[in-house]
Amino acid sequence: MLHFALREAARLALGLLGALLLAAALAALGAPHAGRGFMPFMIGWGSVLGSLAQADLGRSAMSGGSVWHELGAHLPLTLGLVGEGFLIALIVGIPIGFLFGAGPARRAASPLVQVISAAPIFVAALALAYLAFHLLHWPVPVGAGEKSGLQLVPHTMAELQAALLPVLAIGLAGAAAAQLALRRGAADTLRQPWRVQLRRMGLTSWDVERAYVVPAVLAALLASLGEVVLALLSAAAVTEWVFRYAGAADLFVKSVALRDWSIAAAILFVFASLTMTAHFVGVCLARLLADPGAPASWR
Amino acid sequence: MAMTATAQPQPNAVLDTILRAVGWIGLASIAVAVSLSDFLASVPADTANAGPLLAPPSEMFRLGTDILGRDMLSETLHGLSATVRAALPAMLVALIAGALFGFVAARLPRVLAFSLRGVIGILSAVPSLLLAILMIGLTSRGWSGLAAGLAAAPLAFVRAFERAEAQERTSHSEYARAAGISAMTLLRRDLVYEFTQTILSGAARSLAAVTIILSTVSFLGFAAEPPHRDLGLMIAAAKGYFLDAWWTAAFPALALTLLILFARLAAGLGEGERA
Repeated sequence: MLHFALREAARLALGLLGALLLAAALAALGAPHAGRGFMPFMIGWGSVLGSLAQADLGRSAMSGGSVWHELGAHLPLTLGLVGEGFLIALIVGIPIGFLFGAGPARRAASPLVQVISAAPIFVAALALAYLAFHLLHWPVPVGAGEKSGLQLVPHTMAELQAALLPVLAIGLAGAAAAQLALRRGAADTLRQPWRVQLRRMGLTSWDVERAYVVPAVLAALLASLGEVVLALLSAAAVTEWVFRYAGAADLFVKSVALRDWSIAAAILFVFASLTMTAHFVGVCLARLLADPGAPASWR
Repeated sequence: MAMTATAQPQPNAVLDTILRAVGWIGLASIAVAVSLSDFLASVPADTANAGPLLAPPSEMFRLGTDILGRDMLSETLHGLSATVRAALPAMLVALIAGALFGFVAARLPRVLAFSLRGVIGILSAVPSLLLAILMIGLTSRGWSGLAAGLAAAPLAFVRAFERAEAQERTSHSEYARAAGISAMTLLRRDLVYEFTQTILSGAARSLAAVTIILSTVSFLGFAAEPPHRDLGLMIAAAKGYFLDAWWTAAFPALALTLLILFARLAAGLGEGERA
């Protein structure tokens, strides 16, 4: 386990370093004269890397403020949306993954899940908004207008209504990834010879499911944590746009449109880091859960 | 008895074959609708005042009209056509830059292969939608097809890379190497098998992926421009009034979802599996 964790940590460090170099190359496009050839670009890249070494992410071309300030203003909203969406993903995805993992239930639910999987996030978000507006008579902020912040811990009904739709849209995207990981895990365990061997040793079907199958399936979910986070971040980008929330994903879209490469690079780096870190944490926890030989100190 | 049981196709395999057939028939129907869109549509694309403003579906306007009085049936057909025409070259880019390049990259010298895998791994840690937006921002809207294809490529690259690695570890590869068959010959042979076996499902999978990316970047305002509106842009235009006029967003959304659904079914993707 220690060897595994160290290897994964080294891969994470290399990945983060690569993401940092790519983000610095993108930010260098905003440097003076960077578009005038290879050498000016390389000088700009070196300059950005030098600034990064001093924890200076540069300044936003849109607002003139520091990139740190812009990230501080927009990132918490996105992280909150992704965090709450993650909870929804688990609440919805885990039961679906276990219930429809195999057998007749899977075949019965298959057409519906296929249709839902085929709808792009913005279509699903607009459909949710339509249903909330007409069935629940909620105010839905999808039209034109100023972008706003979001109360991630709602205190009033209006704040809850405003938060629930984007969180649901993001959570459903994450739930699709979570249930897929669980179903894959369940399908894998069905093929394992140890199921039959454990029954022959005298264990009941329930014992086998509880003590061996469930941990293996949950380990499959943990191993796919990176994919789940990637799905949540993708959904956040669209959902912030649809529901007019000024989060980091929305800021990324705006920064690319206005060629503010410092902001775009910083957000790309943060998103890539989140996905890679989630993958690292997920595979290590999966290994712990599925590997009974792991030392107790690691559990 | 056992022989008979193994010779019979499993129920899941039969269902999968039926679903794939449904997917391909659906894609063929869409191809027909797209190629005949100018004939099937009653008015040219972006024709305003073809009817009253925001008229609901009726005998005269079967899918209603939008806020500029455009016939939604004609607009949806034109939008579907624009979406498919943009998605096809993007699909090719995703296939070549993702599936083909990934397969070949796995057989390069190890250091180079794993360096490439590392770089592409970093790109695949970024949502493909954001990658597409970034590439369009670095170039122009005219390159949105290429951008969508390249944004979909990292995942296809990683999948193909892993398949190629797995094939390299099979016994036939070891026997071939032991028999003195060159790596290039083995690669050519594996490529032929890979592409004859996966080209159709890979193409359908890439079509689903690039259609989602292209329609979403259009929805966000980064790809199609009027008068050549695709389905994503049509839905974006309806965003301001679809709560009162559902048909302005519902029919383009239905057409888009059907296109992606048929591509997913044709690719044999599982429920919820990422394209």
